[in-house]
Amino acid sequence: MSLLEVRNLRVTFDTETGPVQAVRGVSFSLGRERLGIVGESGSGKTMTGRAVLRLIRPPGRIEAEAMTFDGQDILNMPEREMRALRGKRIGMVMQDPKYSLNPVMTVGRQLTEGLRLRDRLGRADAVAKAIAALEAVQIRDPHRVMDAYPHELSGGMGQRVMIAMMLIPEPDLLIADEPTSALDVTVQAEVLSILDGLVRDRGMGLIFISHDLRLVARFCDRVLVMHKGLVVEEIAAANLLAAKHPYTQGLLNCLPRIGGPRGPLPVLDRTGV
Amino acid sequence: MSFIEIDNLTVTFRAQGREVRAVEGVSLSVDERESYGLVGESGSGKSTILRAICGMAPVSGGSIRIAGKVLPAQRGRAFSADVQMVFQDPYASLHPRHTIDRTLSEPLAIHGMPDRDARVVQALVDVGLPPAFRFRYPHQLSGGQRQRVAIARALMLKPRILLLDEPTSALDASVQAEVLNLLSRLREEQGLTFLMVSHDLAVIDHMCDRIMVLQHGRTVEEISRDDLAKANMNTPYARSLFEASADRMLGSTTEPAR
Ligand SMILES: Nc1ncnc2c1ncn2[C@@H]1O[C@H](COP(=O)(O)OP(=O)(O)OP(=O)(O)O)[C@@H](O)[C@H]1O
Ligand SMILES: Nc1ncnc2c1ncn2[C@@H]1O[C@H](COP(=O)(O)OP(=O)(O)OP(=O)(O)O)[C@@H](O)[C@H]1O
Ligand SMILES: [Mg+2]
Ligand SMILES: [Mg+2]
Repeated sequence: MSLLEVRNLRVTFDTETGPVQAVRGVSFSLGRERLGIVGESGSGKTMTGRAVLRLIRPPGRIEAEAMTFDGQDILNMPEREMRALRGKRIGMVMQDPKYSLNPVMTVGRQLTEGLRLRDRLGRADAVAKAIAALEAVQIRDPHRVMDAYPHELSGGMGQRVMIAMMLIPEPDLLIADEPTSALDVTVQAEVLSILDGLVRDRGMGLIFISHDLRLVARFCDRVLVMHKGLVVEEIAAANLLAAKHPYTQGLLNCLPRIGGPRGPLPVLDRTGV
Repeated sequence: MSFIEIDNLTVTFRAQGREVRAVEGVSLSVDERESYGLVGESGSGKSTILRAICGMAPVSGGSIRIAGKVLPAQRGRAFSADVQMVFQDPYASLHPRHTIDRTLSEPLAIHGMPDRDARVVQALVDVGLPPAFRFRYPHQLSGGQRQRVAIARALMLKPRILLLDEPTSALDASVQAEVLNLLSRLREEQGLTFLMVSHDLAVIDHMCDRIMVLQHGRTVEEISRDDLAKANMNTPYARSLFEASADRMLGSTTEPAR
């Protein structure tokens, strides 16, 4: 049985200028694997991820034929039960980590709060566990970062703190929205290997949202390509770079290369797709 | 004399009883119309260097000169007409309760510039956003759409220097290509000077003439674009960045994915 099942998901925002359909009927299932979601900016990747956690704020609304997590109906589950799943069994690394962290609470308190309240760990144990999590994501001076407020972190440090926070409760499903977009390649490789280990060793399911096709091709098992709120192609990650859909192909051609020509980069012809 | 001259810059943050040397003795100079790249480890001080130029970081040593002049402590209006920054974190830099229209037209109003309406629409079109987006608020946009608004805002005043902090890291390949093409075109047409941070070496290579590699707040080495392409770097750290670059991993000369 799959871990997550989503059938015909729609996310609509009612705005003053009429409804905006951010997601227009997306279906997929996820096992204990690494599923990539790629696609153009604004294609509905983030809204798809947030909808799974039912984190769409009004005037946005979610509709679907079915949404089940580990056999439970998460589409109709009462909000109270949903809250118990969030963070604990389903984690989400947000695209704007510094915005999603609490600005007036130290990193240390944010990392240890759940451990102390939910897992009833003592202070020293919770701190030790939080520091280990920061070290795992390659934070150089974890003691300083524990005492720091989010605005005192660099972009990539904020991203890594968010990842550490989501991994501490050992979720069964992690939705990671552009989790490494601010990381240099060497730190990125470390973070990816942690995620990889969790999928392989603990059987976590991972939804990896990214606009970086080359990264996703290398890291994921399977990929959904989104375009204007729809999944236009589903493909084994290893074959992504040979994708058929003209949109996917077009995206690949737009990438600059080290030592490549300096003239204007090819851009996607939006009239055709 | 170079256009931007940073000499022995040191930035020290003090927080919770600790001192953080975010930048230590960094020197660099950028010529007029040049495009200069900063790369390096996460937390190595790249954003802090850009913020120091804008007067937004506690400089504890060294100097910053633009066009030969030491910058005044209060950067002021003349500075923002000349130098604009695109922040790494577009969410934090856009006012949550201002419409995009207000965000883009306010700098024009402050500096008393005409044709505000037409300029706002043109700025949105330039970064590939529909003009109707001007009536939205930041939370009604996707991550990449917000980043494009931040770029559009920096361009409103037609500055001479653009400080770009990961300007395309939230953008997919096609929008990235459009934004990079726009930036290159503006640099050509208006003679802009860029100081740009990115962790994507292919982007840096495409956009920049010279590159500085940073680690722990210090300079590791400076590389020309030609040397980057030829893998002519002197330090193991710079080489490791190059070798782990996604661009190379899927290149025709290396093995295919997995
Ligand atoms: N509150 C809102 N009101 C109206 N439209 C919205 C709202 N929030 C998001 N949208 C729109 O929904 C669409 C999908 O947004 P989403 O954030 O899922 O994009 P994305 O694929 O994650 O893009 P990116 O790669 O830029 O982050 C976008 O076009 C966005 O403008
Ligand atoms: N306001 C602040 N107070 C205390 N320390 C800070 C503050 N701002 C930045 N720092 C520290 O300065 C160091 C450099 O941060 P900076 O944002 O310049 O890094 P960066 O090279 O841009 O990294 P990234 O690639 O992750 O964005 C980090 O260790 C960070 O924690
Ligand atoms: Mg998004
Ligand atoms: Mg930074």
